[in-house]
Amino acid sequence: MDSAVWRKCLDHLQDELSTQQFNTWIRPLQAVERDSEIRLLAPNVYVRDQVSNRFMDRISELVGSLAPRNGATRVELTVGSSDTPATPAATGAEPHRGAVQAAPTFKSELNPEFTFASFVEGKSNELAKAAAIQVAENAGRSYNPLLLYGGVGLGKTHLMQAVGNLVLARDRSARVVYLHSQRFVQDMVKALQQGTMQDFMSYYRSVSALLIDDIQFFANKLRSQEEFFHVFNSLLEGGRQMVLTCDRYPREIDGLEERLKSRFVWGLTVAVEPPELEHRVAILMKKAEQEGVDLQQEVAFFIAERIRSNVRELEGALKRVIANAQFTGRKINIEQVRLALRDLLAIQERQVGIDNIQRRVAEYYKIKIADLLSKRRNRAVARPRQVAMCLAKELTSHSLPEIGDAFGGRDHTTVLHACRKVAELRSTSTDLAEDYKNLVRLLTT
Amino acid sequence: MTQLPLGVRLRDSATFAAFEPGSNGTALAWLRARCGAAGADRAWLWGAAGSGRTHLLEAACHAAEEAGQRAIYLTPEVVAAAPEAALEGLEYCSLVALDDCGRVAGQRDVEFALFDLCNRLGERGGMLLLAADAPPLTYPWLLADLASRLAAATVFRLHALDDAGKLAALQRRARLRGLELPAATARFILGRADRHPEALFRLLDDLDEASLAAQRRLTIPFVRGLIGRQAAP
Repeated sequence: MDSAVWRKCLDHLQDELSTQQFNTWIRPLQAVERDSEIRLLAPNVYVRDQVSNRFMDRISELVGSLAPRNGATRVELTVGSSDTPATPAATGAEPHRGAVQAAPTFKSELNPEFTFASFVEGKSNELAKAAAIQVAENAGRSYNPLLLYGGVGLGKTHLMQAVGNLVLARDRSARVVYLHSQRFVQDMVKALQQGTMQDFMSYYRSVSALLIDDIQFFANKLRSQEEFFHVFNSLLEGGRQMVLTCDRYPREIDGLEERLKSRFVWGLTVAVEPPELEHRVAILMKKAEQEGVDLQQEVAFFIAERIRSNVRELEGALKRVIANAQFTGRKINIEQVRLALRDLLAIQERQVGIDNIQRRVAEYYKIKIADLLSKRRNRAVARPRQVAMCLAKELTSHSLPEIGDAFGGRDHTTVLHACRKVAELRSTSTDLAEDYKNLVRLLTT
Repeated sequence: MTQLPLGVRLRDSATFAAFEPGSNGTALAWLRARCGAAGADRAWLWGAAGSGRTHLLEAACHAAEEAGQRAIYLTPEVVAAAPEAALEGLEYCSLVALDDCGRVAGQRDVEFALFDLCNRLGERGGMLLLAADAPPLTYPWLLADLASRLAAATVFRLHALDDAGKLAALQRRARLRGLELPAATARFILGRADRHPEALFRLLDDLDEASLAAQRRLTIPFVRGLIGRQAAP
């Protein structure tokens, strides 16, 4: 069939449908000419069903009227992509995922850019990096599993994939599989639906190294936990390396079976902390270098002093700066950064800072800010100081050493102690619990 | 004036060429450079209604398709109806555009599905283009992992066109249709019609058809007559 028929059909549909309908349902269809029919490939079952129910009659009618007189007019709608083989329409199966196919091919899904060389090391992650290198060089024989935990956007996925890339670099035949825990769950559900659990389990049990991101998403998914538990045991017994990441210490995950919690921390568990100022600067300089952009150190400091939460946000800010410079022709300097990030900086300034917390706490307890920062240890001063430190940990993204610094140059263990003490007192003293609640309200509304 | 066959309206709206940049030149240039190009990317366009968010998303889909790529445009309603099913397999699209996406914040199922799509698109090298009325971190996201990924997008603020921009936009649209819209007529329109961009472009559609039917140029008296008839009860 003349492929121009579909183009003409599109022209008609574009006239007849709203722009939104066209862009949502019709534009993602790919047309493949096959013998005497047009196969329309929808990106998923949902789009296919919507097109089938709402537009298929009209499409068939249009194709019928637009096709050459002696041409066939059959239109088939199925799920698939012209880049990958399509599945029969009748099954409704989603064709893209290798993991649940009967004869799975090993596809690592590793991002080759996530290597140890491209990882910027600092105090907050040096231990995690050292552990990851150790694991990659002795896969299955060293710490197993390696579990990296910490807040979002701190480089856990980068380190985990760097392990996978190094394992692959040392042994090209290694079957390294990286996936997000949600993908594991989804693939398992599909395998259950399709009756291919045997293949699913065999696939995961036969890998050389399994890297699973964000295991906190296993919470409350009991069947997935059960299956993962078996995969986990099988790999560990077979001496295959496992690397896991989590956004918190696994014991703190609600809805995760105890036996999994204890197994997750069998090997080596390492925290990845938020980067400190100099580390953030180093990250910015490295990213800029990767983008081929000349970033002066003072400009990097300017950005890093203002974007403190995590590396992803830092990257987002740098991308905005680079895009602004590229398309306006301005040179990257502090003034240009101020301009490119003005909306972001305005929001940051409205957010809670340590200064603000100290001021509010001092007002609340009717003491001086200087007392909070002093060495005085009597209870009238020490308790509010502990509360303020705890609030700083809870409401800001500053690292513990940074909070300690901001409170008269104290050690990060003092901050940790303050947080524990306040947590304990909040459960035993109604007065302190009330004070704390009031302060949070004052600071966040 | 160009003669058009009756009953055919030109579909000129959702392209980059039809977008009057005003002070949104950086966003437009970035999108022109990235849409249709290879490589994972994520951008967040934000601005008030009428600032061109939807236009740019639709134009990006159009540009991707022109480059032989698969693109899909989604709204919160479409995604919320069946979050996982609606976003499944979309990593095989080169571009996924989600309009008004701040409205999915706080909907746990949608956030999970979107987070998953972010990861899958990132792995496959696709682009996620989001539009909203505020920057990413101003929404009450339930999933910190999703929030941080969205915050890492290249964020552009879109500013609504001022009167000079609207005048240029009207003339640009008219030019794309082969219509001649003199500056004086465009100023006359701006002075008397609803000045929301969408209303202005709808009026241009009507003027286009009316001028064709009457075989008249877009002079002030001709436009005055049409606006007068539209305003009449």
